[in-house]
Amino acid sequence: MKLDPRTKLFMIFVVSLIVMMSATTPFLWAIRLSITLIPIILLILEKKYASALRFLIAYGTALILTFFFLSAESEGLIASLLIGYCGIVVQFMPALITAWYVVRTTKIGEFMSCMQKMHVPDGIAVSLAVVMRFFPTIKEEYSSINDAMRMRGVMLGGGNVLKMFEFRMIPLLFSCVNIGEELSAAAITRGLGGEVKRSSVVELKLGIADYLLLTFLTAATVIFVVFKYFL
Amino acid sequence: MSFIDLENIIFQYKGSKDGSLVNVNLKIEEGQTVLLCGASGSGKTSIIRLINGLIPHYYSGELSGEITVADHDIKNTELHALAGTVGTVFQNPRSQFFSVDTDGEIVFGPENIGLEPKEIKTRMNDVVAEMDLEELLGRSVFDLSGGQKQRIACASVAALLPKIILLDEPSSNLDFDSIELLRGIIMEWKRQGKTIVISEHRLWYLKDAVDRVIYMEDGRIAKEWNAEEFNLLGEEEVKKYKLRPVTLEEELIREIRGECDSEIIETEQSLELKDFFFSYKKRPYLVFKKKFKESDGDFLNLNIPDLKIPKGKVIGLVGPNGTGKSTFLRCLCGLEGDCKGKIVSDGITYKGRQRLKICYMVMQDVNHQLFTDSVKSEVMLSMKEEDEKRCDELLERLGLIEFKDTHPMALSGGQKQRVAIASALASDAQILLFDEPTSGLDYSHMEKVSELLRQLAVSGASVIVSTHDPELISDCCDYVLGLNHGKAIYLKANKYS
Repeated sequence: MKLDPRTKLFMIFVVSLIVMMSATTPFLWAIRLSITLIPIILLILEKKYASALRFLIAYGTALILTFFFLSAESEGLIASLLIGYCGIVVQFMPALITAWYVVRTTKIGEFMSCMQKMHVPDGIAVSLAVVMRFFPTIKEEYSSINDAMRMRGVMLGGGNVLKMFEFRMIPLLFSCVNIGEELSAAAITRGLGGEVKRSSVVELKLGIADYLLLTFLTAATVIFVVFKYFL
Repeated sequence: MSFIDLENIIFQYKGSKDGSLVNVNLKIEEGQTVLLCGASGSGKTSIIRLINGLIPHYYSGELSGEITVADHDIKNTELHALAGTVGTVFQNPRSQFFSVDTDGEIVFGPENIGLEPKEIKTRMNDVVAEMDLEELLGRSVFDLSGGQKQRIACASVAALLPKIILLDEPSSNLDFDSIELLRGIIMEWKRQGKTIVISEHRLWYLKDAVDRVIYMEDGRIAKEWNAEEFNLLGEEEVKKYKLRPVTLEEELIREIRGECDSEIIETEQSLELKDFFFSYKKRPYLVFKKKFKESDGDFLNLNIPDLKIPKGKVIGLVGPNGTGKSTFLRCLCGLEGDCKGKIVSDGITYKGRQRLKICYMVMQDVNHQLFTDSVKSEVMLSMKEEDEKRCDELLERLGLIEFKDTHPMALSGGQKQRVAIASALASDAQILLFDEPTSGLDYSHMEKVSELLRQLAVSGASVIVSTHDPELISDCCDYVLGLNHGKAIYLKANKYS
């Protein structure tokens, strides 16, 4: 299924909004859960079964723990660690997984075209596009640095947590800065940053799926806010 | 006035002497194909950057002199205004892509200059047909081989229809077949009457393509040949200028391409490799992964049931791109955990993680494997027990002693490579693996690497070096091991050494 980037951006917004507002009644929880299901369904449609399953398990465990084993009165080290874990997973994971889905399934061309349609200035659109473009690069660089560390037997930084972090970050920063510099030189020689308005070959059109999803997301937001603050 | 006109150029980068230019005068007429050659740091890339305006608008420094390109005064022209006139193909395919998908990359330039979508599509179809790129469309740039990336880079430049095309060491990361394709693209541009300037170390593939050859030395134009003189350059003369050869031994090329008879020789002192099977394709599994076996056949990216390789020698690992050279190295040194191969040396069997202890791979991008803040601590990090005396000895041997307290990232590429080798020796590795150590190096740097590899072998290490570089092979390899489709096709003594 192909969604319009605008729908995807709206989805990130709504999912983050609803998940961040605390649900206080069972009805609000129901809305929140159904919103969380959307990225999972989308991941399954994209055939990313493993990610969907992993997310489902992490989220499910956190929910069950919060509801049945933890309460505001829980005490002790393990309980507080668990509260931290569950809080992070329940609050942030849905938004994170939605963003991940969007980054994975949106081409840079589509994204730029979408930004133009929404009249976002080219400067901002280009910067955001570069960020998207950089994720796979960082992944590639990171994995070869990891290989090098394994080869030298310094995976654990000699037992020093700071070193473990330093050994990964320093080469990564150096190569990302280098790649970034060469990348912008290459982009500028191909006319990026000119005064003319960029055009785009990607024509965006909202389809049925987009309208359905947009309606559902809007409705969910309105109902959530009304029930939480006005009733 | 000439089409490209550099007049009395004096240039120096901010904070660096490398690549500066002294009194350069160069006129290039429309439709000419010009080759810039010379050692690294002699100013080839700086000339390319002057023509495309990256100097002075992106890389700053002190510049005097006049640059005129197709009636644009470069000093007073904004970079984006040159996009439709000058196109540049860069050296590193990793860092010249803006998009993640190939289609998006080809249309990126035309979109920037605000062309109508319809016009962009026509141009894209033209370029795709011209360069035969159908099979590469709609793919992620990150899944392409170096050669395929370079073809997409050429296409994305061509889609802007520039009159001038600059190529900055475009063949550095390519194998023979990809270089052939690149050559085809350059010939087609030449036929279309484009003005082409190429900076390059490898000369053989451009022999019949260029009209003029400019030889740079220490920021000056030291010599110029026309096409005829260049083609007649003798081996001696080429050596004198420290250039890479203009003609290659046909048989050596065939050998590197793997087009020769299957033949595996046996040697007395050897390392035995057993059960090296590996595939990047994933198979679904429930609890335990199934081991790769010989009978998996074509499913495997690496399929070496048993192979004896000479010990204490330099072995060149050759074969076309994507045939399993890097996979072989990664499996050998134990980086691919799913490969259960064993190494038998002096009657001791090394398997699993033990392989990581006796092998050490110097990666193509050495930046990834230097972690600390000084050369000394880099070497110490590899030692089981810190031994300052031994560290000094190693640094002395590799000519790094004066850089003992320097930050590794402040060193040149070749020096970084030697730091990596020093830390390999410090970790007592017996098998040293090199992944394309000379790609993008000029003749004298290549010679240095080759001498170092020979020294390592003399001191008792087994050196395996994966490469496309014919000069490196004829210079330092004792044996050549040819791979094809993940299988060892031949292993024989190198008759060129």
